[in-house]
Amino acid sequence: MGERAVSRRLALISLMAIAMIVVPAVTSLPSGISGVKDTGCNCHGTEADPSVTASISGLPESYNASETYNVTVSFTGGPAIDGNANLGGFNLWASGGTLATQDSSTQLWGPSEASHTSEGNDQRSWSLVWTAPESGSDVDFILHTNSVNGNEGDGGSSGDMWAKAQVKVLGFGAAELPEADPFKVLATLIMVSAVLLSIVVLYVFYRNNPEGFEWQRFAPWITEWLTSTDHKKIGTLYFVQGLFFLGVGGIMALMMRVQLASPGNEFISQDYYNQFFTLHGTTMIFLAAMPLIAGFANWIVPLQIGAPDLAFPRLNALSFWLQPVAALLIFTGVFSGAGADTGWTGYAPYVVTENTHAGVSMWAAGQIMLVASSTLTGINFLTTMAVMRAPGMGWFQMPLFTWSILVANLMLFLSIPAFGVGLIQVYLDRTIATAFYDVASGGDPLLWSHLFWYFGHPEVYVVIVPAFGVISEVIATSARRSIFGYKSMVYAMAGIGLVSFIVYGHHMFTSGMSPALRFITMLTTMLVAVPTGIKIFNWLKTMHGGSLVYRTHTLWTLGFLVTFTLGGISGMFFPSMALDVHLHETYFVVAHFHYVLVGGTVFGFFAAIYYWYPKMTGRMLDERLGVLHFLTAFISYNALFWPMHRLGVVGMIRRTHTYYITTDDFQALPEWAADWNMLISVSAFLFFASNLLLVVNMIKSLIRGEKAPADPWGGWSFEWMTSSPPPTPSFDPHNLPELKDANEHVANEPSRLGQMFRRLMVDDDASEGGSH
Amino acid sequence: MAGVTPLYDAIWEDYMLWSLLVGAIAFGWLYHHSFFYRSEDGESPNVDNLEVGVFPKDYDNLKLEVTWTVLPFILIVWLTYISWAPLDAVWSQTGPDGYHGSECQEGESSNNYIDSDGYVRSECYWEIDITGQQWFWEFDCNGLSEDLCSTDYATVEGELKPLLTLKTGETYFAVLNSIDVTHAVKNPGFGMMEDVVPGQETYLWMPAVEETSFLMLCAEYCGDNHAYMTAQVNVE
Repeated sequence: MGERAVSRRLALISLMAIAMIVVPAVTSLPSGISGVKDTGCNCHGTEADPSVTASISGLPESYNASETYNVTVSFTGGPAIDGNANLGGFNLWASGGTLATQDSSTQLWGPSEASHTSEGNDQRSWSLVWTAPESGSDVDFILHTNSVNGNEGDGGSSGDMWAKAQVKVLGFGAAELPEADPFKVLATLIMVSAVLLSIVVLYVFYRNNPEGFEWQRFAPWITEWLTSTDHKKIGTLYFVQGLFFLGVGGIMALMMRVQLASPGNEFISQDYYNQFFTLHGTTMIFLAAMPLIAGFANWIVPLQIGAPDLAFPRLNALSFWLQPVAALLIFTGVFSGAGADTGWTGYAPYVVTENTHAGVSMWAAGQIMLVASSTLTGINFLTTMAVMRAPGMGWFQMPLFTWSILVANLMLFLSIPAFGVGLIQVYLDRTIATAFYDVASGGDPLLWSHLFWYFGHPEVYVVIVPAFGVISEVIATSARRSIFGYKSMVYAMAGIGLVSFIVYGHHMFTSGMSPALRFITMLTTMLVAVPTGIKIFNWLKTMHGGSLVYRTHTLWTLGFLVTFTLGGISGMFFPSMALDVHLHETYFVVAHFHYVLVGGTVFGFFAAIYYWYPKMTGRMLDERLGVLHFLTAFISYNALFWPMHRLGVVGMIRRTHTYYITTDDFQALPEWAADWNMLISVSAFLFFASNLLLVVNMIKSLIRGEKAPADPWGGWSFEWMTSSPPPTPSFDPHNLPELKDANEHVANEPSRLGQMFRRLMVDDDASEGGSH
Repeated sequence: MAGVTPLYDAIWEDYMLWSLLVGAIAFGWLYHHSFFYRSEDGESPNVDNLEVGVFPKDYDNLKLEVTWTVLPFILIVWLTYISWAPLDAVWSQTGPDGYHGSECQEGESSNNYIDSDGYVRSECYWEIDITGQQWFWEFDCNGLSEDLCSTDYATVEGELKPLLTLKTGETYFAVLNSIDVTHAVKNPGFGMMEDVVPGQETYLWMPAVEETSFLMLCAEYCGDNHAYMTAQVNVE
């Protein structure tokens, strides 16, 4: 391929990438999609009607600081007829100052937004009090009024038209400094991270060969990365993507934590907060955890089973390249200011209503691509493990990490189609107005819950089971022992895989489920503890009589055992009904799943990084930095998530950008809840910062790390047989390694099931020699 | 603990006890082994002679493995058993077999009380309606007399919110409805929550046993003003 052709292709790819970012951004820019302010009352027609006139009176030409003004909003015209039940309503929004109500005919939606109450909808004008801001900037007022013919009582009316009025009140001094748009802050941070990432990539390239730092050499290098079908290169791409989005998801979490640091905080608005927690969940599960797992699976599984590559290398490349494109789609809404705001669970029918942001369609579209990617990955790995194991390796000689990937992919493969179907329905509902989830047209909101959780619950096991695999590898190698109960480990993983499909009902305990199903789901959910318990006890027993070698990955593994056990115990509280109805949708749930997903999956994969990084790059990581990373991260992690249990028990609920502290009038959260939230927020920053040590460590190792030997930790599986980093293809297809077995006598005997079949079947010799 | 039912407290204590026990076993074991069985020189001995390319020798013990399959199983059967009875209490059926009898006739009273097991029992109940809508709650007393159930507005952090006043000693059966998207009634004072699903009626028991005043929240994310979808409930 000529150099020119390469450049042309690269230019084309960049153009396509830019087009993909720009085009949706242009078509979904904010006008007309951000709620009441732009579209009038959200329950009425989309076009303003000239027969209605809206007006605001009582506002000065220019205001004095902190002075209060009586504002009257009113309308004339339209279908309103005196004497009918309803006349109309209004929504008033001010860009500054605060509004206050005067009577029960009006209510506030926020400090500077007000509308009528159900009592006040039989009036044509309403009075409010506006307190001017202290600063001197101009204030915009936007008023929407609607006029209705309330001839059918409270139930509705035959006419409904609206109008808009806008008034600017001049300020007295210099304009206030504009507030930073949180999305711009986030977008800037993502861009800066991306630029830093590319600088690191370029620097690493430069350090490897300073003379070769010119386009003629760089082009083939980058082309190789963009078009490679080698499982190791694709694994690295997944890995980089996963770490990058782990950072992005972390930044979103930090912004949420700043908002929650004190009750009633106004760091980011409710609107942004809703988008941040949605994207935090989607990013962490689909764009961080899954790619990190896929990265290690790509790297390690073919090496562990002695295969030269995966069964379908090009399919593998397709699986990966669907991911960044899907990520762009999911984040499209963010860059246009209207990201998905439905929660990662995207509950119907909210997800298909008009109140959601336009970004939800893109969010669904992106996830459909991820479904495709995961399905292809599943096919690829299952085929590889079925047909490409090295000679001598039966199913029950596969290393446990490979087994964990097999179980995870099997679960994913069986569950993700349901999610894909649900997403396609949501996408069609939103774009071409089908009515799968529109209740008024006979849609069923619980259908989404069923489809989503049929996938969603196995999905969280898909994310945790590979971490089990990692821990099994690391703890055996570090303790210098065989893993205790290899077979029961495999059966336990398979058991988790089976049980995962029959427990999802516990996410819907409070959705009006039938009592019999509630009981069944309670029992099956409790059952999860059994295989998980087997795994934990087997790991502990593996250490028995061993000689535990303390390295960074050993520390992370022991840390995993602590946090995952805690997460497992807190999980046992949910199947119990009387507890669940109290703890459902509170921070107790948030604490539980962060204990298993961060303390489980992320800690497990940190162990994997320290364990396999030397194999992947041929360079050792710095142990002292590693230990520092573990200590700081482990402490700040627990300070971050442990207090959430207590906050959940006293009733702090999820997914709200603010919370209420007990006052003289009513009981809500106790006063100390505010201090605990501050502690959590501070710990969140410490946890984020401590993980930067890992990034520093990895970059440092790439540049001047010690050269790694083939088997630095003394593991037994095939990946330690190859050089560090391994050659391409990973094993010579004509000279595959052969697995020996320390238990020869066992390996050559048929299994119990095999013996049973042998007894049942008449063998060929007997039938030939018998009756004839 | 604020607004937690005695039933919740009883089960919570059982669960905490078992959690502490399981935690003590797992962590005691973990700490002991991670100190007692550590390698002296950071390298050796290679206990099971792990060697590259050789599947390690078997290390298992069927009795032990069966033990820690069966013991946790017995524990979860026990935990399920103690969680079973509350299942009926939390979602008690109406009628003579339920915990709260049939609907009260005029002049009757629920006379509810907490029995020795922590279950709330009543002679009869009153039916009220709660409707969820983006983003406020609407209470309907179904024509019950003022002293049993009344609605009004209260100021919560500067905003006007619906107020529901109930009477101590009375048990209420709330029929939940939503006119737009899924919400959830979260009554910290009664230790209960239930989703409010559009196109479907769901039900929630609200036993007003003692005087309290709390903020009712929406616990299922429902859009922009989800956090402000509150209401005050007074039990007088």
